[in-house]
Amino acid sequence: MTTQTNTNDDLLVCKQIVKSYNGPLVLDRVDFSVKRGEVHALVGENGAGKSTIIKVITGATNRNSGDMMFDGQVIPLNHSRNNAQDLGIGVIFQELSLIPGMTVAQNIFLTKEPFFPGTRFINHRLMNRNAQELIDRYQFPLKATDVIDKLSIAQRQLVEILKAMSMNAKLMIMDEPTSSLTKTEVAMLFEIIRKLKSDGISVLYISHRMEEIYALADRVTVLRDGKLVAVLEKEQISPAEIIRLMIGHKLEENALSHKLEPKDGEVVLEVKDLTSVGKFEKVSFKLHEGEILGLGGLVGSGRTEVVRAIYGIDPIDEGSITYLGKPYKPSVLRSIKSGIGFIPEERRLQGILATLSITHNIGITNLDRLAPKFVLNLKKEGEFSREGIKLVNVKPPVPEQLVGNLSGGNQQKVVLAKWLIRNLKLVIIDEPTVGIDIGAKDEIYTHIKNLASQGVSILLVSSDLPELTRLSDRIIVLRKGRVFTEFKDCVVTSEKILRAASGILEEA
Amino acid sequence: MSSQAVRRLILIGLMIAIAGLITSINPVFLTLGNLQKLFQEAAQVGIIAVGFTLVMITAGIDMSIGGIVAITAMVSINILSYTKIPVPVFVPLLLLVGAFVGFINGYLITKFKLPEFIVTLAVRSVLSGLALVIAVKDSLGFVQNVYIQNDQYLWFGTQTFGSIYRTTIAFVILGVATQLFIKNTRAGTNIYAAGANPVAAKLSGVNTERTVLGVYVFSGICASMAAIFISSRMMTAMPELGIGSEMDVIASVVIGGTPFTGGVGDIWGTMLGSLFLALIKNGILKTGISPWYQPIAIGGIIVVTVIVDVWQKKAHEKLTARAKLRKLDAEARKSAA
Repeated sequence: MTTQTNTNDDLLVCKQIVKSYNGPLVLDRVDFSVKRGEVHALVGENGAGKSTIIKVITGATNRNSGDMMFDGQVIPLNHSRNNAQDLGIGVIFQELSLIPGMTVAQNIFLTKEPFFPGTRFINHRLMNRNAQELIDRYQFPLKATDVIDKLSIAQRQLVEILKAMSMNAKLMIMDEPTSSLTKTEVAMLFEIIRKLKSDGISVLYISHRMEEIYALADRVTVLRDGKLVAVLEKEQISPAEIIRLMIGHKLEENALSHKLEPKDGEVVLEVKDLTSVGKFEKVSFKLHEGEILGLGGLVGSGRTEVVRAIYGIDPIDEGSITYLGKPYKPSVLRSIKSGIGFIPEERRLQGILATLSITHNIGITNLDRLAPKFVLNLKKEGEFSREGIKLVNVKPPVPEQLVGNLSGGNQQKVVLAKWLIRNLKLVIIDEPTVGIDIGAKDEIYTHIKNLASQGVSILLVSSDLPELTRLSDRIIVLRKGRVFTEFKDCVVTSEKILRAASGILEEA
Repeated sequence: MSSQAVRRLILIGLMIAIAGLITSINPVFLTLGNLQKLFQEAAQVGIIAVGFTLVMITAGIDMSIGGIVAITAMVSINILSYTKIPVPVFVPLLLLVGAFVGFINGYLITKFKLPEFIVTLAVRSVLSGLALVIAVKDSLGFVQNVYIQNDQYLWFGTQTFGSIYRTTIAFVILGVATQLFIKNTRAGTNIYAAGANPVAAKLSGVNTERTVLGVYVFSGICASMAAIFISSRMMTAMPELGIGSEMDVIASVVIGGTPFTGGVGDIWGTMLGSLFLALIKNGILKTGISPWYQPIAIGGIIVVTVIVDVWQKKAHEKLTARAKLRKLDAEARKSAA
């Protein structure tokens, strides 16, 4: 009897969902359900399978097996985006999918514009009226005729929500919706989510931020390594418990804990009260010779911004940097000249020259040695290339190979190689192993460790917690642009880092 | 063999076939006189295309080249008409006209982060007007068709060295030098890097702004150089000289295998491309087809080239994907065994 009512309560039911992209299982027999009118949070570390299950639900990709029901209807194996829309599944993506030059109304009714009766001419007045009605129903701070460009990110999200509502969405999926919102905007979004809920609309909420989940969620599903770990009911939800489940206990004890042993060699880099308005504030730390200093924190906590500023990409508003005992004013060229290397995040966008060969990719940071005057020493460039390829074991080891045609892991190795063949004192590494297979990952870790043992100091930014704890000698956790806490001389676990990143201080 | 080499061999084979076809229709094609003119024609477009290629490798475009040809020719005709400055003195200085315009282009593009196409198109418009303004006029204010009689000036475009026009020789020297430059110097490497991925290039220490500025200056210099050879060859210069030549230049570069997306391409390709284009144009004349069909043919060739390139890229991807699958298959079978 109870099971019967439960089934009626459920809007979305997924049973034994299996998904694999030609290889390991990304989703391994996952059960998942969302009730009518609840806010359901989906949490898990990077790679736990959150985005994949969203993709499966919204039809962006198809599951290999398993049953799915939405609102009493069976979702077929060859699900599609259009199908999801028709069923009433709306998604608010991290990167919004609005058309900038158009008005709010035009965006909401794109491809569904009302016509004048008997014609194919758009009735703009009616369209604007319909849009305004929808806006007023939720009392959004918007006008139907506002052009998207002029709206803030938060307002654009509202337009996305309206777009989904206009298709009678019964389930609204929000993927990290607060990542680029201000405090007041977050509060507004929460109000709206509660209003949606009171209208009987279910919200599937994905976030890294524990306090948000705590404030909003009726239930929480925790995924780890593609498997369902737990479903927590309202009264069971606590940030510490969620983090414990996300990381997992068994692994914690052996593989994922790591004894931190700070190196106290000469100070290579000292950063004092570094501030860039709106990005980070009063960040201070020291980095010693041969030390790997990990920078932890959630996405948006200011880690990447800090290292970019140190390398000289973005300007600094206040604070000082001392490098090798001298005051240092960063610029990219000066950094390269004085032995600083930079391995950026987003390899494809910032790291590689896809249309050029391995040789040229490796050569580009070494032009000072390859062409001290003007003419490029092609023979030397070839030697550098072979040296680099051998050093990091690029496959295939063909210097002429275009880097765009290599696998992700090998592309990253090339990015590594172009710095490794230089005489470095400090390397900044931002998310070194995103989207890389495990074998290549291990190789990259070995190179990072080797560098440190040769006396090179390393500043490592990573969202991959096991990676961060495994590699670092000392870890600083940033939160909301400030140094939140530091881990040194202790046993560190992924759980501790994540708790700190979420703003939970350890009891002494 | 690389896909680039295949492409070039196909292009050369096609040229030989077309040349054969034209000869069979009109044997005059294969005479020394015609071939001399054909190569000169290729060189006149090709000199501009060399500079344009570098712009395209940085993923940019320079629509002002025609305007630069016009303005350079007008400056030249004014100096020839109104001053007694000797040719060896002022002709090299004419290159500064193009360099200056190129600098303006590059400055606007890099300093204000403006779109290349709009900037250079606007500059083209300014230059074409300016060329009319400074053109030599008669007493009624009409543009005068000045005949160039200065032998030293005519040396450039009307004389041969051995049996090859000086324009052609200049083109080959420029082409070879530029090819060596982009492949063998630091600045050349920067050009490829800036086009392949400006963000990555910058993080690797490449001064992408200076690089982009530089290619527009070079493109301008090449256009001015072409203006000297063309006006010398025609023994006159109209203010419209070169306006509209963008099409031929783009066609040469694209046929030569330098895509609009940047980071790829070289001068060998562009030299082949400009020869191919000259061959088509010459063939249309020699086979008795109306010259009005020239622009139609050029437009058609550009489209076909782009289609073939896209198709070749897809085929290449398919082949590599299949090879990968086969490899995975073999590995799976090995581990099963």
